[in-house]
Amino acid sequence: MLTSYITLTLGLAFLGLGIALLRPNTWFREWRYIFRNRKRILIEDALKHLHDHEYRRLPATLQSLAGALAIGDGRAVELVKTLEALGLVRSQDHRLHLTEEGRAYARRVIRIHRLWERYLADQTGLPEQTWHSQAERQEHRMSIQEANRLAARMGNPPYDPHGDPIPTAGGDMPPPRGVPLTDLPEGEFGEIVHLEDEPETVYAQLVALGLYPGMEVQMLKASPERIRIAANGEEFPLAPIVAANVTVEPLSTAARRSETWVKLSHLKPGDTAVVTTISRACRGLQRRRLMDLGLVPGTTVEVEFRSAAGDPTAYRVRGAVIALRKDQADLIYVEKMESVNRKATAQESST
Amino acid sequence: MANKMTFSHKAAVEDIITTANRFRWELGENLHDSVMDAIYQDAAGIARRVVTVSGEKPRFDWERTLDRLLTSRVTGFPIMLLLLAVVFWLTIAGANVPSSMLATLLVDTLHPALKGLAANMGMPWWLDGLLIDGMYLAMAWVVSVMLPPMAIFFPLFTLLEDFGYLPRVAFNLDHLFRKAGAHGKQALSMSMGYGCNAAGVIATRIIDSPRERLIAIITNNFALCNGRWPTQILIASLFIGALVPPALAGIVSAAAVVGVTLLGVALTFGISWVLSRTLLKGEPSTFSLELPPYRPPRILQTLYTSLIDRTIFVLWRAVVFALPSGAVIWLVSNIHVGEASIAQHVIQFLDPFGLIIGLNGVILLAYIIAIPANEIVIPTILMLTVMSLGMHDMGAGTGVLFELSEQSAYMAIFGAAGWTTLTGICLMLFSLIHNPCSTTLFTIYKETGSVKWTAVSALLPVVLGLVVCFLVAQVWRMVG
Repeated sequence: MLTSYITLTLGLAFLGLGIALLRPNTWFREWRYIFRNRKRILIEDALKHLHDHEYRRLPATLQSLAGALAIGDGRAVELVKTLEALGLVRSQDHRLHLTEEGRAYARRVIRIHRLWERYLADQTGLPEQTWHSQAERQEHRMSIQEANRLAARMGNPPYDPHGDPIPTAGGDMPPPRGVPLTDLPEGEFGEIVHLEDEPETVYAQLVALGLYPGMEVQMLKASPERIRIAANGEEFPLAPIVAANVTVEPLSTAARRSETWVKLSHLKPGDTAVVTTISRACRGLQRRRLMDLGLVPGTTVEVEFRSAAGDPTAYRVRGAVIALRKDQADLIYVEKMESVNRKATAQESST
Repeated sequence: MANKMTFSHKAAVEDIITTANRFRWELGENLHDSVMDAIYQDAAGIARRVVTVSGEKPRFDWERTLDRLLTSRVTGFPIMLLLLAVVFWLTIAGANVPSSMLATLLVDTLHPALKGLAANMGMPWWLDGLLIDGMYLAMAWVVSVMLPPMAIFFPLFTLLEDFGYLPRVAFNLDHLFRKAGAHGKQALSMSMGYGCNAAGVIATRIIDSPRERLIAIITNNFALCNGRWPTQILIASLFIGALVPPALAGIVSAAAVVGVTLLGVALTFGISWVLSRTLLKGEPSTFSLELPPYRPPRILQTLYTSLIDRTIFVLWRAVVFALPSGAVIWLVSNIHVGEASIAQHVIQFLDPFGLIIGLNGVILLAYIIAIPANEIVIPTILMLTVMSLGMHDMGAGTGVLFELSEQSAYMAIFGAAGWTTLTGICLMLFSLIHNPCSTTLFTIYKETGSVKWTAVSALLPVVLGLVVCFLVAQVWRMVG
């Protein structure tokens, strides 16, 4: 009898300890916050939706708002009434428009959201798929003053990790750039300027493929069923629905550079190459570390030897031998010495 | 006029800010990289102008050959295991003699001498007990068990490090650690942990990624330290070796100790994996591992620095913590509340709880009051057992730590206290999986600067240990 009591107490104690250790902010507190601030959260989400449509020059209507916020038409009407009463929105010909004040409010929320994503990307180790949902929480909680301080600490970053511009403290934003990848003609080159992070499953696919803002791509085949692009010496098949979430800036043929690039991880021991770029997917502490080691564009890298287990590989960089893991070497693009030399000779003979 | 000036001034400033903002968008994120690029290019240019390189290195120099040998698929791991085995063997074999010499000097000779001196001075019994039987003896114990292995292990390790071999070990093992979300250099802090966990925690400084460093700190405790080897070996030979015919006893008990060590390795990987995906998933992470050129080791300098930096440093902290612990051990056994001493009350209170998890009240109390050093756990258990059983003819007196020379004598005491094979197994498990000693905890606090991570490092293993012992005891009782 006594034994079973003690066992029970022990079990409960372990359980409590486990919960306390693994779940510092409980679901309850989360739920309570959302419940108490549901009105404000709804207003801010509505402003974000209207701003998004305005920015992309799409019409925003009651229906599009109800769809984006997943609320019924009745509630959407109530919401628009509130927004109009607050002087944030006005409607005209069944279209919803942001007022000057509404736009400023929306950009404050967006500034916090994108700054937070930048912060998570650069200063924490959280996986990419979680940034957006964390920023969705944070945008309703952080004050704009806190956000400005955070921005100052991070050196006022202009873009979020997906390539979206972060509104300045004054609410400025550049006009949108680029065209959807699906609009890039076959054979043409473009630079990825933005990866849309919603919906999450599509974004996860883009991340898994290794696409990143700043990457040069060439459209190989653009049919309504399948899209094939080439980038950094590799080919990627994409479903059109996925490709539509990628925005590219078309490049003139003269500007393109990446045809002869390969991943550093593709080299074999004994190979020598010159670093051409480090992927934007390599960021924060990891990027700084590589730069500290002298791995910058133009650096000559020689592959020395592989570990006994096959994974980290040792490279000679600026006189030092440095081991990098495969997933890091995947993010570094190089041009093999032979092709660098070939280009140099070609240039010489042409002059 | 003045007003107009200010106005146009303002407009000009606004204009400049707008232009600057536009440039910021256009330059985008590549600005930092471009600056970095330019700095490196300038530096490389200057270096080319002013540095003369005399004589290119031959393509097949001995360093390359050695690297190929030490990291090859065929020879890499066997060489590593061989070297580690040699280091451990030298430590164990080499530490035996000085350890027993120190014990003879500090415990068998100096302790009675001090007692005699105190008696001559007419010191009251309680003061002499507290100072000499309590504080001095605990300290003497820690020093004699701890000092010799550390004075051998650390210099050997530092020699390998100095030569440049240890980074190659990290290089070879990184693949394994990466799968657990850890850094290859954790192999080194872990090996250091086999000497002393506090030194292992300090050794994690070589890991420059915050997340992986915390993982290495929290899991270092699963490397059986110098203070726990004697417990493991003693209990294994008493309880596991006794299960088989005498001819096999040696091998089987050695296998049991190796098994516990391997369980520690498995826990290191398992807990690392869990930590990197739960508690620590938000910490930033990076990987880089420099493989420095080989250097002929500077033996004298190595001996000096490893003695000062590691051995003396760790020893000093251990002594500082052992002194109050000795006092507490003596006090709880000698202060009486009602009929029994404090220790007896606590043992009675803890006993039912201890029995559920396959241990007993004495062992739990010993782990609580011997938190400063694992070295004194077995002497404390012996003393407390003898005291709680009222075996006044055994031992050296209430609150005085002692050890025995004969296995049969140990068995007589443990048998009288009702120990079974289960108690032995659970004690071995709990000795592996419990909170780090206070020296290590203090070091963790110093290294992380965080109460939170110190608390996690203490609570995680002790909770895990209690759960494991509980499960083992339940299964054992169900089967047996």
